[in-house]
Amino acid sequence: METIRIEGLRKTYKIYQKQEGLRASFRGLFRRRYRVVEAVRGIDLSVDQGEFVAFLGPNGAGKTTTLKLLSGVISPSSGSARVLGHVPWRRENAYRRRFALVMGQKNQLWWDLPAQESFRLHQQIYRIEPAAFVARRDELVDLLEVGKLLGQPVRELSLGERMKMELIAALLHSPEVLFLDEPTIGLDVVAQHNIQNFLSYYQKLKKITILLTSHYMKDVIALCKRVVIVTDGVIVHDGSLKEIIDRFSTHKVITLQFADHGLPHDINRFGEVIEEQAPRLKIRVAKQTVTDSLAAILQLHPVEDVSVEDPPLEQVIAEIFTSVKQESDSTGKRAISKI
Amino acid sequence: MPAIADKKHWSTVHVLQNTLVTWWTILRICLEERLVYRGDFALGTLMRFLPIVTQIFLWGTIFETISGKIAGYSYHDFIAYYLLTMVARAFSSMPGLASGIATEIRDGSIKKYLIQPIDMIGFLLLNRLAHKLIYYGVAIGPFALVFFLCRNYFPSMPPLETIIAFASSLVMGFLLGFFLEAAIGLIGFWLLEVSSLLFVYMLFSFFFSGHMFPLDILPYPWNYVFESLPLQYLAYFPAAVWLGKIEGESLVTALWIEAAWVSFFIIVCRIAFQRGVKRYSGYGG
Amino acid sequence: MSHFPPEYLASNSSQKPNYARVFLTFARNSLVRDMTFRSNFIIETITSLSWMFMNLGFYLLIFSYTDVIGVATGWTQYEFFVFFATVAIVNSLVQTFFMPNAQEFSELIRTGNLDFALLKPIDTQFLISLQKVNWSGLGNTGFAILLLLFSLWHLSRHEADFVLHPLQILLYPLYVFCGIIILYSLMIALSATSVWLGRNQSLYNFWFYITNFSRYPMEIYSGPVGDPRRWIGESLRTFFSYVIPVLLAVNVPARILAKPMAPDNLSLALYAVIGTILSFILSRMIFYRALRGYRSASS
Repeated sequence: METIRIEGLRKTYKIYQKQEGLRASFRGLFRRRYRVVEAVRGIDLSVDQGEFVAFLGPNGAGKTTTLKLLSGVISPSSGSARVLGHVPWRRENAYRRRFALVMGQKNQLWWDLPAQESFRLHQQIYRIEPAAFVARRDELVDLLEVGKLLGQPVRELSLGERMKMELIAALLHSPEVLFLDEPTIGLDVVAQHNIQNFLSYYQKLKKITILLTSHYMKDVIALCKRVVIVTDGVIVHDGSLKEIIDRFSTHKVITLQFADHGLPHDINRFGEVIEEQAPRLKIRVAKQTVTDSLAAILQLHPVEDVSVEDPPLEQVIAEIFTSVKQESDSTGKRAISKI
Repeated sequence: MPAIADKKHWSTVHVLQNTLVTWWTILRICLEERLVYRGDFALGTLMRFLPIVTQIFLWGTIFETISGKIAGYSYHDFIAYYLLTMVARAFSSMPGLASGIATEIRDGSIKKYLIQPIDMIGFLLLNRLAHKLIYYGVAIGPFALVFFLCRNYFPSMPPLETIIAFASSLVMGFLLGFFLEAAIGLIGFWLLEVSSLLFVYMLFSFFFSGHMFPLDILPYPWNYVFESLPLQYLAYFPAAVWLGKIEGESLVTALWIEAAWVSFFIIVCRIAFQRGVKRYSGYGG
Repeated sequence: MSHFPPEYLASNSSQKPNYARVFLTFARNSLVRDMTFRSNFIIETITSLSWMFMNLGFYLLIFSYTDVIGVATGWTQYEFFVFFATVAIVNSLVQTFFMPNAQEFSELIRTGNLDFALLKPIDTQFLISLQKVNWSGLGNTGFAILLLLFSLWHLSRHEADFVLHPLQILLYPLYVFCGIIILYSLMIALSATSVWLGRNQSLYNFWFYITNFSRYPMEIYSGPVGDPRRWIGESLRTFFSYVIPVLLAVNVPARILAKPMAPDNLSLALYAVIGTILSFILSRMIFYRALRGYRSASS
């Protein structure tokens, strides 16, 4: 069943451009210059119920804007979208009760109050039945292990604890669609791991649809089968994690462990040496030549152990970002005009 | 050895020049920054005169049943007084200064002054100066317009000495306002939550500075209370000087007292900042 | 890990929030917050009260020079105190319920936290306007009510022709409510301008300058024949009664108690109701237009 359908979604907005220098500032008193930014430049996407989709892209690629469009916070310049059959920017209450948005860099809980007071407010706003409210809250609190912190003012919680509370607040009304904008930003490894576990468990349990943006590849690897890569406001890839590596990585990494303690000096003619730690050596070899190179090395040197791996996902994705960026810079696709 | 002395002299000049260039750059950047926020400038200044309109009508109505003066103030004196306090407040009011300092202390952004080789109080003073310069540049229009429209409320031009005394009371009013508010903001080093303290200060300063009415119409013993506070220099004093309420020797004395208050708060700021920073870095920020 | 009971998966979604209960939760949460910062709360209450005493002292000073403000209008000392108490009641209630929220509106826009308000299945203007209650403002309301009662008692004791009809007592709170809505509408409309003016400024400050006109009896906006004060005052009075009806916010309820026999009372009272409804509708239009502006201008 299709939960989200987006067609030709675009969003442009104007920002005031500050002029350099005192004279220009004076002129700015009377005439302002604006820059038109195209945050989203025609996105098509279809997501089925129960999918957990990751949005990847460099800063300013339009990920957050897309999530905000889908949650109806902002209106698009053109294009259409349906979530659960609703047009998000019509902002019907019926729709608003069926989804939730969590932003890692913003908080919606009352800063000076214990989180449970904010939960109660949510109960009133979403009109959750008292019994259902208590049951859901207790389940979520158990899962996230924050029972002891419910009575503490939010400002006294750590970032990770606060994010857990934000998640509880967002899930109290049992949304069918969840938008997560960098939910693990700034968290330490343990807290990140906790939240990943929770999300993975909860999503499988409730079969809800989740769209996630994140900078941490670990989040993506742990949670999502499907990855959508956005750069400069357009989708450049939509598929599984595996496909990304197959499609975009041009090299493989070969790790060699030599039998004697010295390292041979002629290895760099097969590929770029990325790590040298005797008796081990890592080289980066072009995909097509992996078999030939490996055969040649094994013939020439006494190798004790060998492994061939794909390069780390971070690296592949960073390469995609830069290559797309260069391409669009050279063709000047991203229109910047002055009014 | 003359050569070395010469070199020393040269380097002092050089350092001085460098400092001046630094301060000039800071001032210029502050000016630019201020110009970006143009929104409430011209209209905002005109709106600030709206309470004067109410005062004109209120005192006009009050004086319908009073023949003569209230504590030496005629109807016209009252209106002239309110207009002059507007000028004084344009110099002495420092919106957001104390709360800004307190916020910077609380959220830790004060560190940037401790890391960079600039003096925080000096930087803020220049920032404020830039703000005021821009403000006067834009506000001179509305001020001129209102004073022209209300010219009949003013007595004839005072003598030159009075004008000089008035001008110096304005300049000192600026300095007093700045260092007084900065000192309050620096309390943030010791008290985390300064906002209610600021609220208290704001209300009392509105009243005790003479913004609401001329302080000398108050009966004994209140007038003595107000005259002993520095707050009167923020609004009442310049206006009273222009209207000739304070003259001769008492004017000179009052100006000296004002200068003393200014130096007092400069010193308070210095000490508070040094102690505060010591305390702050002691806690490890 | 425990399991989720499946019956909670289905949410009954067509219900509207119960606005009264949501408001009570706002009020309760704000009280909890105010009580955690108790010393601030006490300082603010006392300072606001001393501000009122200062104002009262100022008017006492004026009444030491004259018996009445305005020859033709005749607000005597205790009649004027009824007026002053009404100013304080209307303003302190606006300060308690609306001011912290209007103030924070532009902050919400700046920090982007307005996004969360837009997601909630509840009227956005309601949520933005009422989510915080500044309980310390109620100290002034309490004192103002005492002053009002004392002044009325004094008037009934010392003025032979002073009578209080039950209808007056019924109408007074109604018109105080109208006054609050008029001042609130102006406030929320002005703070909504921050969407167009830039992220950290708005016309909110002008609210104080405009509502300053409402703090005095409307009869003062006049002057002797031939003086420019006359036509300026008359135009101000008309403008702030019929275009931006802030003059009605205090004058109508205060007159109902202190000067029920003033000739233009009936027409003003009728218009005050219309003006309240129109102000509120207009403020709502401006508010939602601002949200539309926010939606199209932010990323």
